[in-house]
Amino acid sequence: MLTYAARRLAVMVPTLAIVVLLVFFATRAMPGDPIGVMLSDHSADLVLASRLRAEYGLDRPLGEQLGHYFLGLLTGDLGLSFRYLHVSVAAVLASGIRVSLTLATLALALAVPLGVAGGVLAAVRRNRWQDNTIMATMIGMISVPNFALATFLVYLFSIRLHVLPVAGWGTVAQAVLPTLVLALPAAAYIGRLARSFMLEVLRQDYIRAARAKGLSPTAIVLGHALRNTMVPLSTSIGVVFGGLLSATFVVETLFNIPGLGRLAIDSIFGRDYPVISAIVLLFTVFYALINLGVDLLYAAIDPRIRLA
Amino acid sequence: MIRRLFRDSKAVLGALIVAIVLTLAAAAPVLAPQDYTETDLGGVWAPPSGEHWLGGDKLGRDILSRLIVGARVSVIAAGSVLAVTFAIGVTVGMLAGYLGGPIDTVLMRVTDVVLAYPELIFAILVTAVLGAGLGSVILSLSLAWWPGIARLTRSLVLALRHEAFLDAAVACGTPTGKILLRHVLPNIVPALIVRAAIGVGFIVMAEATLSFLGIGVQEPTPSWGGMIRDGLEGLRTDPYLALFSSVALGVTILGFNLLGDGLRDALDPSVMDR
Repeated sequence: MLTYAARRLAVMVPTLAIVVLLVFFATRAMPGDPIGVMLSDHSADLVLASRLRAEYGLDRPLGEQLGHYFLGLLTGDLGLSFRYLHVSVAAVLASGIRVSLTLATLALALAVPLGVAGGVLAAVRRNRWQDNTIMATMIGMISVPNFALATFLVYLFSIRLHVLPVAGWGTVAQAVLPTLVLALPAAAYIGRLARSFMLEVLRQDYIRAARAKGLSPTAIVLGHALRNTMVPLSTSIGVVFGGLLSATFVVETLFNIPGLGRLAIDSIFGRDYPVISAIVLLFTVFYALINLGVDLLYAAIDPRIRLA
Repeated sequence: MIRRLFRDSKAVLGALIVAIVLTLAAAAPVLAPQDYTETDLGGVWAPPSGEHWLGGDKLGRDILSRLIVGARVSVIAAGSVLAVTFAIGVTVGMLAGYLGGPIDTVLMRVTDVVLAYPELIFAILVTAVLGAGLGSVILSLSLAWWPGIARLTRSLVLALRHEAFLDAAVACGTPTGKILLRHVLPNIVPALIVRAAIGVGFIVMAEATLSFLGIGVQEPTPSWGGMIRDGLEGLRTDPYLALFSSVALGVTILGFNLLGDGLRDALDPSVMDR
């Protein structure tokens, strides 16, 4: 398994190198001039413009800029932000990473138990009203986009009922709506999978054996079936996490939360190439590692699976 | 199969919603009660009334008219993305799966690079490069989605690869192109239809998300995502724009998803419970 992990990591390197290359050229190809954005009011000051251009290395040939960028990445240097003068990209990202991670962890911590409980209940009460209600709610949650869901929740809880703040970050009350908006679609996705895996497991012979020896239905579901439902379900965590990463772009923008997602959108409008590149790379590496972790976890908890 | 679909009440509801949305999209210029770009000072943030059935937006434009034209934009975007992703994805997937060898390796490495990004983040990056607008939204979503279709097609083709009827076709000296089009493609079409039906909802959602973030379809062309963004400005006092556009978008995606689930169950009874 260690050799498998090592080989997967080794295969990741060329893919990530191409990802870096694409992101580098993508940001350079974006319309607009970062120096122009930086200068704003002083845009007529050509001396200042050329000095800034030299300081950020933008006057050098593209190949040289790329080489410099790659070397910097290898030493962990992400360069300087264009929008915040003289501030390193790492410093710009630091607080955002903490915020986004907190938000994603809260959402996942809510989504997994909620989704599993809903899916298991639906499976156990298959084709009865509980199942129908849960499944209808779940397809609704998957269908309504996060920003439309957020619009409803903000209107209801913040504007009509005045029980939660409209936006912002820092207090527990401010975290409630963004966490819900991130967690509900994820829970619905997990729940739909949990239901179908649970139904599959409940058809197995060992469940019939457990029932035959007189175990209570609760003991069968919680003691025997649930564990075997969690095995295939754990592979979906990668997809769920990819969805959460994407959703932070919207949710952080909407709730004015200073995380990586909002920073990325602001950076696109502010032509802050180094920050956009860094965030996309960070998310991509993160996504790749999560998917690798999921594959390893899958093999670790299910002895029938051999990684080759 | 059709009969099985019609016994499924959720699928019927989905088909009904989809039919309504498609009708609105097709007949938008006729159905929209007013010009969707026409501003009206008296209708600024107007509540629903006889003149503006669903109220007016920040420029006093008729919300109902903009929602109807927005349906057209949504359908055009989703239809184009589907057409492009399937054209590229199915071609690449069939070639990779059937021919195998170095062609397969190269094509699959290309899909690896795109699949390394979370889909929406890749689309956001591409849209940021191409600049906002309906065309770049279609292109960026197509670029983000075709590798998934290529992978699915490849796996479907690999499953067929050693069927006797393919060996027979090869033995008869049928040219490869004809084998792919006449023998392979018809056998994988049902699975592809299901994938397309399930994918539409996500594509509609992705287009709306890009427009909501301000890097998608641009003013004055109405997009439901952009309208929700505009509506948030007035949410405190005049919530009609935000709420009506959210309902339109949510119900449309729900319709596509219900129909997609129904089609999957009807075409493949073995996954009835999923």
